[in-house]
Amino acid sequence: MNKLNFSILFIVLTIASAFTFQTPSSLKIKGSDTVLPLSQKEAEIYMKKNPSSKITVIGGGSGVGIAAFLDGTTDIAMSSRKIKISEKIKLQEAGKAYKEVIIANDALTVIVNPNNKVNQLTREQIEAIYIGKIKNWKEVGGDDEKIITYSRESSSGTFEFFKEHVMNNKNYANTVLMMPATGTIVQSVSQTKGAIGYIGLAYLEKNIKAISVSYDKGKTYVQPTVENAKSKKYPIVRPLYYYYLTKDQKLVKPFIDYVLSLEGQKTVSQVGYITL
Amino acid sequence: MKLIKSLLFVSTFLVVNTFLFSQEEELNPIDTLGIAVNKIQSELYILKKLKISGYTQVQYQIADTAGISSYAGGNFPTAVDNRFDVRRGRLKLTYESGLTQSVIQFDITQRGASFKDVFVKVAEPWIGFITLTGGIFSRPISFENEYSSSVRETPERSRIVQLILPGERDLGAKLSFQAPKSSKWNILKLEGGLFNGTGLAGTNDFDSFKDFIGNIGINKTTKNEKTNYGLRFSYYNGGIKQGNKFVYKTIDEIAPGVKSWIVDSSTSNLNGKARREYFAGDFQLNWDLPIGFSVLRAEYLTGYQTGSAASSTSPNTGTAPTGDTYIRPFNGGYIMLAQNILQSKHQLVIKYDWYDPNTEVSKDEIGKPGSKLTATDIKYSTIGIGWNYRVNTNIKFSLYYDLVTNETSQNLAAYSTDLKDNVWTIRMQYKF
Repeated sequence: MNKLNFSILFIVLTIASAFTFQTPSSLKIKGSDTVLPLSQKEAEIYMKKNPSSKITVIGGGSGVGIAAFLDGTTDIAMSSRKIKISEKIKLQEAGKAYKEVIIANDALTVIVNPNNKVNQLTREQIEAIYIGKIKNWKEVGGDDEKIITYSRESSSGTFEFFKEHVMNNKNYANTVLMMPATGTIVQSVSQTKGAIGYIGLAYLEKNIKAISVSYDKGKTYVQPTVENAKSKKYPIVRPLYYYYLTKDQKLVKPFIDYVLSLEGQKTVSQVGYITL
Repeated sequence: MKLIKSLLFVSTFLVVNTFLFSQEEELNPIDTLGIAVNKIQSELYILKKLKISGYTQVQYQIADTAGISSYAGGNFPTAVDNRFDVRRGRLKLTYESGLTQSVIQFDITQRGASFKDVFVKVAEPWIGFITLTGGIFSRPISFENEYSSSVRETPERSRIVQLILPGERDLGAKLSFQAPKSSKWNILKLEGGLFNGTGLAGTNDFDSFKDFIGNIGINKTTKNEKTNYGLRFSYYNGGIKQGNKFVYKTIDEIAPGVKSWIVDSSTSNLNGKARREYFAGDFQLNWDLPIGFSVLRAEYLTGYQTGSAASSTSPNTGTAPTGDTYIRPFNGGYIMLAQNILQSKHQLVIKYDWYDPNTEVSKDEIGKPGSKLTATDIKYSTIGIGWNYRVNTNIKFSLYYDLVTNETSQNLAAYSTDLKDNVWTIRMQYKF
């Protein structure tokens, strides 16, 4: 191969490689099932506005998202709980600096089957149901029906938040059925008369019923709505987080800025969460 | 007959093929993808049970003097004051299936290949409260003893841990009691086990005395996930076969100002049990501060250590001692602060550790003629200062300086002044 041919080949290869690597930016988002519908909607609108961008959103739970974040297999971890100190230590050990962004708030919602005549419960009653102390709906003003309790798995941020803020850190009863995703809780509660579960407000559908909750031992009951959460009347409100590595700022910032923008926050409301 | 066989073969082949092709024709791309995903999922499920991990540490060290005795990675050979070394080359295979786990870990360096861990762990299936571990694994005493070298902030463990618990591991079995993560009692952990007491290098036990190790500890994180602390108390009660009838366990004043070992030479001492008893407490604090993550650790060990005239090191061999037995009251420990610089990749470390092998004597009392108190009874302390740079998940660079100070005695010529045995360590680690 003479010198000229070699030079041409080199130029062609350089141009080809430049085109190969100039693919549209691809962003991976993984984690909380609570944040999932919001991220999906935001990503969908964002990709329409920025056709060159590609965003993949996967659920699995806050724990799964943060584990993927630690492994470097996701660019953004969605979480419905704060990052744990043990996870911070792992990031520090790996020399990874990270940023935490609150993108919205959620009203954690206790749900029952629409055929259940119980409309309201105190925090103490919910706790007693989940620790297995109250086993029949008639004990809280309902029909003589066995209570079937549904919960998320322990890898879920919602599981931990519920345990800490509703159950006063008490243990779930062995009879509680642990579900792998929020969608399965919605489905199970909609199909089972005696069922009770808890979900993010955005998952609320017509085939399930939200329960009004009292945090003052039955004096006042508050319905889980965006308005009540915003006015801080509803007591079980929690922030929803995005976590990303500082070094990935260039890749993730445009999308996060969009989520935090007025337009992005409009989507927050549409999906059923509480804006910042 | 041959013809019938051939016809039968051809017809079977055609039927099977037709069936297969007709099956393939019915599959649409989504079905094909589903089958492929299922196949990959089931293969991944099996593969995920096996975890391969490890790390390699390569270092260059400079000592103050050639041929020094050192706990900063082992003694320097005579006439050598600087060296390259593959300090650790670990390969760990972990197989996990449900409530069972099996671990094998090798150490491969220029010194050869050896094993480090070989154990089986089984959890009870009802509430996952009790775990049984059996094989060769880290003794459940001292935080630093059990803490992996791949994540430790300092290149080596403290002198006392290296001497009292050489090789970190022993052959035995232990029971661990800890409530599941979902329980509020998960913060509490209780462990107890029986061990040979011969250490990692002890291929078989040399006596019938089994050593008990037990501990109780808590580990708690504050609600805001900013602070985590752990506190644990451990107890070791074992024994070592006395190699002959001469046992030294009492120190008395034999003349004004002269302390000496008093020998007990009862014939019943031969093959008797020499005391090996430790009390230990360790504390860890991880604190997420605005200036960066802080790690504070402290440990204190005290008790009675059986050794020889020349050494206070615990056994790490399968050969029974044959010489005189010395039982020394000892103490030691360390305090360490590691401060991360904001959220950067940099971490600064400062550590102080000490080891007093014989708390009954000090300074000029050691080495007096007729006292039998020797260099083995000299106290050491070390100040370590270091810097760690974590490039990424895999690579870490460390620079560390060990400033070693020994007790001096005018009655021991070699220890009349502080020895020149400080060491610089520059290390590169790859972890996977």
